[in-house]
Amino acid sequence: MVDATTATPAATAAPPARRRRPWPATLVWGTAGIAAVLAFALVGAVWTPHPYDGMNISARFAAPSATYWLGTDEFGRDVLSRVMAGAHLSLFMGAFATFISLAVGVPLGLIAGYFRGLREEVIMRAVDVMISIPPIMLGLLILAVTTPDIWKSAGAVGLIYVPIIVRLTRGVTLELGAQEFIEAARARGERDWYILFVEILPNAWPPIIVEAALRVTFAILLGAALSFLGLGVQPPASDWGLMIAEGRPFLSQAPWIAIAPGVALVVTVILINLFGDGLRERLDPRLRQKGA
Amino acid sequence: MRHTCSAPGDRDAPISAQPPGREGEILTLDGLSVRYGSGPSSLRALDKVSLSLPRGGALGVVGESGSGKSTLAMTLMGLLAGSARVDGGRAVFEGEDLYALSPAGWAGMRGRRIGLVFQDPFTALNPAKTIAHQLTEPLVLHRGLSETAARAEARRLLDEVGISDPDAMLSAYPHALSGGMKQRALIAAALAGDPDLLILDEPTTALDVTIEAQILDLLEALRAERQLSMIFISHNLGVIARVVDEVCVLYAGQVVETAPKAEIFAAPRHPYTKGLLASMPRLGAPRARLETIPGRLPDLTNPPEGCRFAARCPFAEDRCAAPQPMVSVGPGRESRCWKAVALGATPWTSAETAAPARARTVAADAPPALRADGVSKRFRRAGGVRVRIDRSGAIPVPRIGHSTFNAVDAVSLTVKAGETVGLVGESGCGKSTLARCLIRLIEPDGGAIALNGRDILKGRAADRRTIARTAQFVFQNPDSSLNPRKTVRQILARPLALLGEERPGTMDQRVERLLDMVRLSRAYMDRYPHEMSGGEKQRIGIARVLAAEPKFVICDEAVSALDVSVQASILNLLADLRDELGLAYLFISHDLSVVRHIADRVAVMYRGGIVEVGPASALGTPGHHPYTEALLSAVPSLDSRGAERMRLAGTVSAPGDGITGCRFADRCPRKIGPVCDTQAPPWRTGPEGVRFECHHTADALAG
Amino acid sequence: MLLYFCQRVAYVVGIVLVVSLLIFSITQIMPGNVAYVILGDFAPLEQIHALEEKLGFNDPWYVQYWRWLSQIARLDFGDSLIMERPIGPILWQAVANSAVLAVISIVLVAVIGIWLGVVSAVRHGKASDHVVSIGTYIVLAVPEFFWCIVLIVVFAGSLQWLPATGYTSMDEGFFVWASHLVLPVVALVMGLVAHVSRLTRSSMLEVMQSPYVVAARARGIPEARVIRGHALPNALLPTITVLAIDIGVLMGGMVVVETIFSYPGLGRLLIFGIQQLDLPLIQAAMMVVAVIYALANLLADVLYAFLNPRIRFGKAAHG
Repeated sequence: MVDATTATPAATAAPPARRRRPWPATLVWGTAGIAAVLAFALVGAVWTPHPYDGMNISARFAAPSATYWLGTDEFGRDVLSRVMAGAHLSLFMGAFATFISLAVGVPLGLIAGYFRGLREEVIMRAVDVMISIPPIMLGLLILAVTTPDIWKSAGAVGLIYVPIIVRLTRGVTLELGAQEFIEAARARGERDWYILFVEILPNAWPPIIVEAALRVTFAILLGAALSFLGLGVQPPASDWGLMIAEGRPFLSQAPWIAIAPGVALVVTVILINLFGDGLRERLDPRLRQKGA
Repeated sequence: MRHTCSAPGDRDAPISAQPPGREGEILTLDGLSVRYGSGPSSLRALDKVSLSLPRGGALGVVGESGSGKSTLAMTLMGLLAGSARVDGGRAVFEGEDLYALSPAGWAGMRGRRIGLVFQDPFTALNPAKTIAHQLTEPLVLHRGLSETAARAEARRLLDEVGISDPDAMLSAYPHALSGGMKQRALIAAALAGDPDLLILDEPTTALDVTIEAQILDLLEALRAERQLSMIFISHNLGVIARVVDEVCVLYAGQVVETAPKAEIFAAPRHPYTKGLLASMPRLGAPRARLETIPGRLPDLTNPPEGCRFAARCPFAEDRCAAPQPMVSVGPGRESRCWKAVALGATPWTSAETAAPARARTVAADAPPALRADGVSKRFRRAGGVRVRIDRSGAIPVPRIGHSTFNAVDAVSLTVKAGETVGLVGESGCGKSTLARCLIRLIEPDGGAIALNGRDILKGRAADRRTIARTAQFVFQNPDSSLNPRKTVRQILARPLALLGEERPGTMDQRVERLLDMVRLSRAYMDRYPHEMSGGEKQRIGIARVLAAEPKFVICDEAVSALDVSVQASILNLLADLRDELGLAYLFISHDLSVVRHIADRVAVMYRGGIVEVGPASALGTPGHHPYTEALLSAVPSLDSRGAERMRLAGTVSAPGDGITGCRFADRCPRKIGPVCDTQAPPWRTGPEGVRFECHHTADALAG
Repeated sequence: MLLYFCQRVAYVVGIVLVVSLLIFSITQIMPGNVAYVILGDFAPLEQIHALEEKLGFNDPWYVQYWRWLSQIARLDFGDSLIMERPIGPILWQAVANSAVLAVISIVLVAVIGIWLGVVSAVRHGKASDHVVSIGTYIVLAVPEFFWCIVLIVVFAGSLQWLPATGYTSMDEGFFVWASHLVLPVVALVMGLVAHVSRLTRSSMLEVMQSPYVVAARARGIPEARVIRGHALPNALLPTITVLAIDIGVLMGGMVVVETIFSYPGLGRLLIFGIQQLDLPLIQAAMMVVAVIYALANLLADVLYAFLNPRIRFGKAAHG
């Protein structure tokens, strides 16, 4: 942008003075936040203040108190314990869905962007078709015909995001493929797999990782929506989406049943987003804000 | 914070309440400083810059990257963006202190009294608006014209900047225009408010040399007709020399020398200027080794207190560590060097000069390193989808076809062992495609290619790695030719392992040897590309090529992305390696001076075909293809030659489809008549063995 | 332009056909279930087989597909298995109800989202920019169904300003009708407004630093004109694409929001069908959704092309 800035990077003849860039504040806070969320989910998976499924008819619809910090639900179960116990399911939903979309999307994107031609045409047209179905419909299409469980809904959510990962990876690959160091590799007779995995992939990771962080949050939200509709986690297990659904009939008498898991969901998503933004700043300051 | 006292000994007096604009000066800069960012990582892009421009004068501002020259343009327009701000000093334009202006005051200044033309015409026009809209907008706003009157005036302006069909231009959108046309439109837009001062920031850098020459002609004419004052910013001394009266040299944010044009080029008085001039390859000069400027720009976040150039200066002494004021070195001349007077005309000397230039002779019977015969490549035209109705069968069927063009059209070329052949042409002429076809980075459609006498299109020598051991490629852009995630060690070890001969020593030792060959310290082994300068990266690119121990190297614009002083050291390195290792080069460039400097023979390419081949030494003598002649006369040079320049009309023609006559017929100023359009011209032989394709004889063209 | 338009139309038709194949494939995955749904879980096997024969499930899949597709193309959606009525009228009523929600929402999203984005880009770094940025950041993390919960708790529960659920027709008075729309619309648009405004802001910021905008400033064009005349038209191009994508997100949101607010729209109908395994209903609803989405994307493409002279006056090309 400004020619004066080109003078800054280590403009000395001295041997490598590799400057460690400090972590951006967003990344510091985001990492801390993610650590807290993970700790919350891990603790919740093994220990909760009250048994998460322990019913107590005498304490139905108890308002938040010293015993029940977040109150109890219609069966007298402790809401805080249920929020803690459901955390790992919601996080799993996000992580597994993102894993699926990366595992399917990244190789397809690399192939489309590097080999071009017929392979690219086929992959990208298939992606066009997938993108032409509204996201939740694709999930419903898959879940409508089979009995829902958490693996299936996470997988469905993952598939929904495959097109986005393919397009991103292909774009990055196309851009990298046009760089001269790729031509140099071809000129010295490197095999395609070497160019793809040694020359291109290490350079393609930063934007993909940033996008993946974003996908985790979208997957958590969409997974929660599916659970909310009864198409994800099945009772008696309960993730946050299902808990909100379960609390819905009692909004007027005991709003905390639905509000507590909702707030947990929102805070988790904000923290992961913060982490993603930090990664974005750290890995590629020029990477532009991307559409979802 | 504004500074209130100037550096001791600086010629500028403490700033008084009275704007220091002097009589007859349209613009006076007084200790102007600009800072980017804040805190310890902030840097002063401009440091107490003092300049003056007489009314009607033209001032050239020269500097390499990091000099702060583009910052200067934006500062003068009050358009500094982001964290940049004026940090001291002032700029007085026609008696008004620019940085004391209110926003309304600036509104009256920009466009109306000071115009700006940008470096890159390709992005400086709004893609969503017609040219008419972008031209009439300032006319309506600044000169209060009605829409119709503004359109008529816009038409007149386009006519003034040499647009042959202003009406078509007015209704066009930018994407439909060539770079030269865009730059003319932008100049017209800058003139719309009838400014007194025009600031031109690298206005021709993105353009081809023949187009650049047209734009420079236009600027000269405009200056004469409109009595415009101009500030012309460029890294290219030759371009500056064409247009301006005075030259100011910027180095690391400081003015280091100001002088009238003729004097500064003939007798520079600051060591940096001397080095800069000495490192330029010139068309007219003998092809001696180029001088270089060792070292690099100081860290501007923490610049040295004394002379900023001292670390790179062969004349430096202890006293240079003290702050350097500008000293007078003659009438109207100043230099920021206390030794300037004492040094006088002492020429620049660099360590590299010590090595004497070797006389070059290529044996006439040397075997060919490259022999290409009738190499062709066709490409689909972008977006050239055509639906045509196929009536050959019983039922007419629509078919989708792609229109194609000959990017490379039956090119034959030989490079002998140990020889350097230069390949010159403007953008889009097919030179890069040809280069890639020669080592099958792009698969040619037809023709025969032999490297070291072995056919690489078929048989055993057609294997990718076999080709790579014979022929290698140096790329243009040092920023993209090295994998940013690999260290120098990894970058060099890979081709050694893949292609290199079995040699004694560990891999690290072999990598060190490569670094030695390209004159880089072994300390660079573990650096990543972003930790090196452009010149250092290009050296790594060359070392990577040497790993394969090739006999033939293609350099595709290998020095084009580099600053002049760095370019000189890379050219020297390439020449040394050629002499040490007996390499043959195909050296591709758009820059005739560079090609003439390094090449033994020169081939000129136009619209996919080679139109002339001849010895580099013959470029100084008459008797060439009209296109070569035009290229030669378009090259901006320091010694302003006479008025008999040859100019090409129009833009660089698109690569053609089925050219029947001469490739150059549509732009040729020496066109004979219909014969040029219909009949392929014969090959002619001129003096010194120059061969070219033209209906004219060599004698007719020389005369 | 005409060639481009034809290209896009052909493309959309192709996409719809492929999607229809996907939707049709549901019947192939679970053909037996249809007969069970009709006859009950304990129906004798012979009856099941007889019904399957009658419904044509024993024909090859392409015959079935063709039969189904040609019916759909004639807008004949068959009978609902559960409600045992023709799907057509039910479907169109639902589409009309949903259209009311969708049109109001998308208009609000476009207007408010673009306005917020432009304002915060123009006031880049100022307090209002920070407020918008932080606000949209938080809003983006809140899923539609949680908005619904919060809105119901606050506005229907505590404040008792608006009805919590349901739908009334316009006949019962405009305000009654509108009051039933307020909460669903708000729940739908919150996240999308945040999304559109963030993207508009970033594309606006990028455009405002582009050379042609700086060049316009250097020509002395007043800042307000630079923003309106030079930056905005270019910055809005990516926003159009985003709006088209967001229509898809909006449809997903409507499934949830209509379910929670018991709003008789297409989304609720679809969920009803899925819960009851009413296959013809599921297929019909999904087809309608796919076609509407494809048409919305076509509209966005055409609008994009119209605003972009490079396509309007250039060669047709897609990718």
